[in-house]
Amino acid sequence: MKRRSDRLQVRLYSLLLFVFISGSLLAQRKVTGTVISAKTNSPLSFATVTVKGTNTATATDANGNFSITVPAGKNVLSISSVGYADRDVTIGSGPVNVALQESTSTLNEIVVTGYTSQKKKDLTGAVSVVNVESMNKLSTGSIENQLQGQAAGVTVTGSGQPGEEPQVVIRGANTFGNNNPLYVVDGVPTGNISDLNPRDIESLQVLKDAGAASIYGARANNGVIIITTKKGKGKATVSYDGYYGTQVVAKGNPYNLLSPQGNADLEWLALKNAGLPTKDAEYGSGATPVLPDYIFPVGAHNGDASVDPSLYYVNPDYTDPNDPTTFYRITQANKTGTDWFHEVNKNAPIQNHNLTVSGGTENGHYLFGLNYLDQEGTVIYTFEKRFSIRANTQFNIGKHIRVGENLSYTVTNNPQITAIQEGGTIGYSYREEPIIPIYDIKGNFAGNFGTTLGNSLNPYATAYRTRNNKGLNARLFGNVFADVDIIRGLTLHTSFGGENYSGYYHNFSYPTYENTENTTTNTYSEGSDWGYNWTWTNTLTFHRVFGKHDVQLLVGTEAYDENNEDVGGGTTNYFSFDPNYTTLSSGSGTPTNYSGRSYLSLWSQFAKLDYQFNGKYLLSATIRRDGSSKFTQNQKFGYFPSVTAGWRISQENFMKDISWITDLKIRGGWGVMGNQLNLGGDNQYATYNQDKNASFYDINGSNNTIVQGFRVGQIPNPFAKWEKDNNSNIGLDATLFKNKVDIVVDYYQKNIQDLLFNPALPGTAGNGTVPFVNIGSMKDNGLDLGINTHWDLTHDLRLDAGITLTTVKNTITHITDQADYFYTPDGRRFGQDFIINQVGHPINQFYGYKIAGFFNTQGDIDAADASARKITGNSNAVYETDEGVGRFKYVDVNGDGVINSDDRTFLGSALPKFTYGITLGLTYKNFDFSSFFYGSQGNKIWDQVKYWTDLYPTFTGAKSLSALNDSWTPTHMNAANPEVDYNGYFSTTTQPTSYYVENGSYLRAKYMILGYTFDKDLLNKVGITSFRVYVQATNLFTITKYPGVDPEISSNGNQGQRIVDMGVDEGAYPHTKQFIFGVNVKF
Amino acid sequence: MKLRIIIPAALVSAGVLLFSCKKDFLIHTPQGSLSADVLASPSGVNGLLIGAYAALDGQDVGNGTPWSSSVSNWIWGSVVGTDASKGSYSGDQQQMNEIFNYSASTANSFFDDKWKACYEGISRCNNTLSVLPKVTGLSDADAKNIEAQAKFLRGHYYFELKRMFNMVPWIDETTTDYNQPNTDDIWPKIEADFQFAADNLPETQADAGRANKWAAVCYLGKTLLYEHKFADAKTQFDNAIANGETAKGVKYGLFTNFEDNWRPEDEAISPEAVFPVEMAANVGTNSIDNANYGDMLNFPYGSSPFGCCGFFQPRIDLVNSYRTDANGLPYLDNYNDHAVKNDQGILSADPFTPDAGNLDPRLDWTAGRRGLPFHDWGIHPGADWIRDQAYAGPYADKKDIYWQATPQYHDAASWAPGSAINYLVIRFADVLLMDAECDAQTGDLTSAENLVNQVRNRAANKSGWLYKYKDDSKPLDGFSTTPAANYVVNPYPAGYFNSKDIALKAIYFERKLELAMEGHRFFDLVRWGIAEQTINDFIGFERPLNNDILPSAHYQSPKNDYFPIPQSEIDLTTVNGAKTLTQNPGY
Repeated sequence: MKRRSDRLQVRLYSLLLFVFISGSLLAQRKVTGTVISAKTNSPLSFATVTVKGTNTATATDANGNFSITVPAGKNVLSISSVGYADRDVTIGSGPVNVALQESTSTLNEIVVTGYTSQKKKDLTGAVSVVNVESMNKLSTGSIENQLQGQAAGVTVTGSGQPGEEPQVVIRGANTFGNNNPLYVVDGVPTGNISDLNPRDIESLQVLKDAGAASIYGARANNGVIIITTKKGKGKATVSYDGYYGTQVVAKGNPYNLLSPQGNADLEWLALKNAGLPTKDAEYGSGATPVLPDYIFPVGAHNGDASVDPSLYYVNPDYTDPNDPTTFYRITQANKTGTDWFHEVNKNAPIQNHNLTVSGGTENGHYLFGLNYLDQEGTVIYTFEKRFSIRANTQFNIGKHIRVGENLSYTVTNNPQITAIQEGGTIGYSYREEPIIPIYDIKGNFAGNFGTTLGNSLNPYATAYRTRNNKGLNARLFGNVFADVDIIRGLTLHTSFGGENYSGYYHNFSYPTYENTENTTTNTYSEGSDWGYNWTWTNTLTFHRVFGKHDVQLLVGTEAYDENNEDVGGGTTNYFSFDPNYTTLSSGSGTPTNYSGRSYLSLWSQFAKLDYQFNGKYLLSATIRRDGSSKFTQNQKFGYFPSVTAGWRISQENFMKDISWITDLKIRGGWGVMGNQLNLGGDNQYATYNQDKNASFYDINGSNNTIVQGFRVGQIPNPFAKWEKDNNSNIGLDATLFKNKVDIVVDYYQKNIQDLLFNPALPGTAGNGTVPFVNIGSMKDNGLDLGINTHWDLTHDLRLDAGITLTTVKNTITHITDQADYFYTPDGRRFGQDFIINQVGHPINQFYGYKIAGFFNTQGDIDAADASARKITGNSNAVYETDEGVGRFKYVDVNGDGVINSDDRTFLGSALPKFTYGITLGLTYKNFDFSSFFYGSQGNKIWDQVKYWTDLYPTFTGAKSLSALNDSWTPTHMNAANPEVDYNGYFSTTTQPTSYYVENGSYLRAKYMILGYTFDKDLLNKVGITSFRVYVQATNLFTITKYPGVDPEISSNGNQGQRIVDMGVDEGAYPHTKQFIFGVNVKF
Repeated sequence: MKLRIIIPAALVSAGVLLFSCKKDFLIHTPQGSLSADVLASPSGVNGLLIGAYAALDGQDVGNGTPWSSSVSNWIWGSVVGTDASKGSYSGDQQQMNEIFNYSASTANSFFDDKWKACYEGISRCNNTLSVLPKVTGLSDADAKNIEAQAKFLRGHYYFELKRMFNMVPWIDETTTDYNQPNTDDIWPKIEADFQFAADNLPETQADAGRANKWAAVCYLGKTLLYEHKFADAKTQFDNAIANGETAKGVKYGLFTNFEDNWRPEDEAISPEAVFPVEMAANVGTNSIDNANYGDMLNFPYGSSPFGCCGFFQPRIDLVNSYRTDANGLPYLDNYNDHAVKNDQGILSADPFTPDAGNLDPRLDWTAGRRGLPFHDWGIHPGADWIRDQAYAGPYADKKDIYWQATPQYHDAASWAPGSAINYLVIRFADVLLMDAECDAQTGDLTSAENLVNQVRNRAANKSGWLYKYKDDSKPLDGFSTTPAANYVVNPYPAGYFNSKDIALKAIYFERKLELAMEGHRFFDLVRWGIAEQTINDFIGFERPLNNDILPSAHYQSPKNDYFPIPQSEIDLTTVNGAKTLTQNPGY
């Protein structure tokens, strides 16, 4: 027995059963015994011992001992325990000692759902029960990352950056805004589990449909993930799990970039194609470009007077913004080319150590855990160091009261970079030209200052300058609880829990001098955020069995209160950049500061009825009423009902003879779930506010001061109410071939209405904060499939295999009464948004011109124009602006003969059609092998890296081999890129087009593990209970057609925008291969 | 066993307690902001008015780029009006490319940026006007002053919209439905706002940045001029020229030196600042949002001391316009036949000698040229300071450039420079030339000639010319007495304006020379009705010289005379399939 609620139920059952039979005791005898695990030889506590053919039952104590009174005429005991196969034993003369084999059946597994727990076979809602052991095998500090592919219905998209929170979406898109599920950890709801130690998890369930989740009402719409942390049990145990490994950066030329000479050759080709003279200050003016010996002074050669080192002057720590005008920089050309990618991506170690002390007696149990995670990122100066402790205890006060607590305290230091954008360490690593060295002749940073080599920044310098930045986040999370058995069958549970967090950072921005676009000021900023939230839950559970009727009724209340504050400031003009010197007080510039506060509270009442008839017919109904401070008095409360039913067909007589069916259940349900994450607390209020940048003005004409002014803040919407998800689900659970095969399959349909969305107001309404209104709607449907199989191939060889499959079809059904679309505000360098969300289509559709091919000849152009003239009746019509030979011909989508903005069309969605996970495990004697594969199919990627590297006229910078070798020429018409040109055109580079859209499907070997467990007998002699060693390879290979560095592309948008802004690759932080050695020891 | 009762009892009591305060439990009032009631006070309504001024620079009033809504209209007035190229490279800010090639789609976000910025300004004026009647404790005079300032500003924002988009919806302090059609010509309403301001604003104000009566008179005149009501406009301009003064009481006139208009240290004594938009640098925000944020791109590039970003380069056609003949007069028709020598295609390392011919000295305060002093930053080296000569030509913006000797007017808080140089929506030279235009249109050619010559005489004032450095290697040591180029400029000889056509031609040309790069040119060309001819001639001349003008570039009247109503605004105001806004013809 693992969990409080499990024990509670079992004990309640036994109590009830005792009472029922107490009147009929005759010639009875007392039998004692011990129950142990056949695998570990350790005692099993809370195993149920029943006298077969009666209702007499008891449970074993902490040492596995039991004592039971057996009525006359009975001589067989049934022993059962969760996770073990049931066993019947005949009572002999002495004590009954039973060893239970571990069970492959999960039917009797107790699953914690909303506020109660149920046996898996009795579930009527859609619940993914995750195999925590399999999940924990992925070497990452993040539970969310581990969840990828492990649960049908859950889609996780992340990156290779340590500590970066991936996007977790349950069953498609649930809202235009924040799709984060609600996490409930040991009964405490929270929005964030990123710092929770994965090794602390005992069980993880995903509540996917309204039947399972709508007991969480207003916060259930994005799905609910229920996490229970580990508890102590049995005799005192010390266990250590640890691993150490290396993350290996991919070799080669991941961005496929040209050499310095190649870049120069490409420029010459562009100039020639445009009819311009071939001339560049760096490369001279000959027929072929010549690489200079020095890039600064521009184009200088060895021996030139201008490169005399005595002229050199650079003060990297300058404090006067005008100082750089006096610098004399000398920078040699790196003719062989700087490999910027590998200058900022380095192999990095990862280690994780987990120490747990746990145990339990009949008076209570305890678990103390320590965890240290230290993962360096492969991009330099990124890492996650995390230290956490956990203390879970419970005390039994008498027979009817149990009190306890679950607490974790985590300290995290996790500097991250923003990826998937043109700037920053990664963006600069594919933009900075390779002819630029890292350092100039005197060891200061080199860059493109004063050169004709573009405007990228030195990526190594960019990263290096963050080295002294510091930050620390701390979080205390947990709860205290009490269970009281008031009368028979009636239990009160109260839990008070929540979190108290604080975060802190300080950054110093060094002035730069090596780039064309420099920051000439030095700035220090420091800030902190802190807050707390608490949830107080009270429930009363009544559970009784009346003959064939099993009734469980739950009523409860829950209050939630949240407080967040932040404060910070900055100053400029530091006399010294010594990190020991720079504080907010030691700068000489004008200090700036900020602070903010936000509050939220919720108040809820709920009830749930679970009814079973004869173990065959299952019915469950829930209702929740939620109130939120985000809404006005009239809209404050929302009601969220659900009804589900199940039918265990296998219990029917007509099925009982089908031997290969162990258990078969069909179930279905309907319900309503709510959401209010998207809107802020001020949505209902009309406010004015001030902003020094936006509403202050130098009315005095002082040139250096500004006077306070006001502007509209929030435009109010007093009518906003809950988002409502009408959710139906039909599912089938089957256990076949004597527990060898488990199948869970669900089909769902969601009609999400009253979506809270802040549609742009017309400009005439001014620029106040647009309120959220209940206007949009969308629907999702899909199939979740989970299959697990276990085969004992020989006596020593066991095969475990499983698959999860998640399919999603999302369709927007309404946006606003005005518009049937909105763009995701992400224009990149096009200056026009290229992600559309339109009625009748899934969210997050790439949108632009579809390329039909190249204009290969003037004849192609003439034919297109002739057709345009015929269709339009305009003798001057041209088919396409700036059409030209070797340029793209776009598809005339609307057939009006000419290309204009009405011909933009849907180019595919970043949402995968389906995702899947495959586990394969083999156990042979002491060896165990396990592997896990994850795949995503049908998702498109907008490859914005191509914009920078494959097209010459976009921006001067590093370009790709493809640009030089696979651009259109009269002899290479089957090309990837348009003709190399000096200028960008409507028909080449200035528009968002299908050129950028790539197939993002992939299959990745997430992990492969080979382990060896030492023989127990040997170990026991030295006091070790178990000892296992393993080696692991993570992300060993990825099968994909995507040419970029990583096909898994999340989003760098904020939580509220990620779902509509995912899949744009502008330099991802790639997942890297990891090679790991680990041990598991138990004393 | 007692605990079995006590704990539930305690919990129930606590629950009841919580329930009883539940009403407050579920209410949280906004933090860090104000309600409208709080602002209904004299200082509150003044704060709302300051907010309306704060929208003038076009910054932080929408979600667009800083430059698309810049008050200087450098894109809309100057780049589209052929004063300048976009600059930089093809790929940079490429949504501008289709704008200056006259083929922009209605979905181009730059249009909506400007639209929204203006309506946010209008919204702030309207909020001031709607709160004002609720304020107690204001004198009638102060209340009138606030109302008149708010209406003046509203007039300005609508004026901007009107000349950009022509037909736009009218929103005032009484409007509750923002889906208003653009069927009515709003000129009369703009006139009414400026008239009210002219009638009610005081002649001087406590603060230099506030609009005064004379600013309103001039803006009313400008409005009437745009409506081709030349006689009415002339009345306003004549009045302002005769009696006008700045908000700080400086009598209207021309600065002694042309370049003083871009010197923050001289702003307070400027006789020319009819309606300044006040810019402030280093105000303690660690941002340049109050410091010409919208013009941050417009500084020389490469190894220049400015860092970013090489936009807004004067066109070769513009520079050629400053050629003067032996009499110091411009070549009104064929200035491009007397082209100014430039360093296009010549590397900085290769030799170049600047043009030695006759030039109007205003050129060298308007365009940075190779070989000449670039303020006190040193000799402009040509290509090394230009981001991409082949793309956008050899010249650099100059009116936006701060001086090395006055670093306090340079704001380095961002990746590109900010400055404290005010933008003058109307400066007095503009008023003189607008009045001259009215005179020419109404037949008073002598007066027109005199007004133009006032402007030319200022240009001819030698103290305002650009001189060579004393020492080219020490630009901060100051200037010598040797002019930087061969400046020859003279007023038109008496009687030169012998016909309306010649007068208008000379006036139009004078506006080009005097007000170049100040965001006026395109709107002037359109109201003169010569945009199509002038711009297509320009394209024919300039296209072979610069790569940024595409083969497809072609200006078409009346389509290109106004920018399209932003597509997103049409979409957002469509109700049940019926469009509220009508698109401009040709789009």
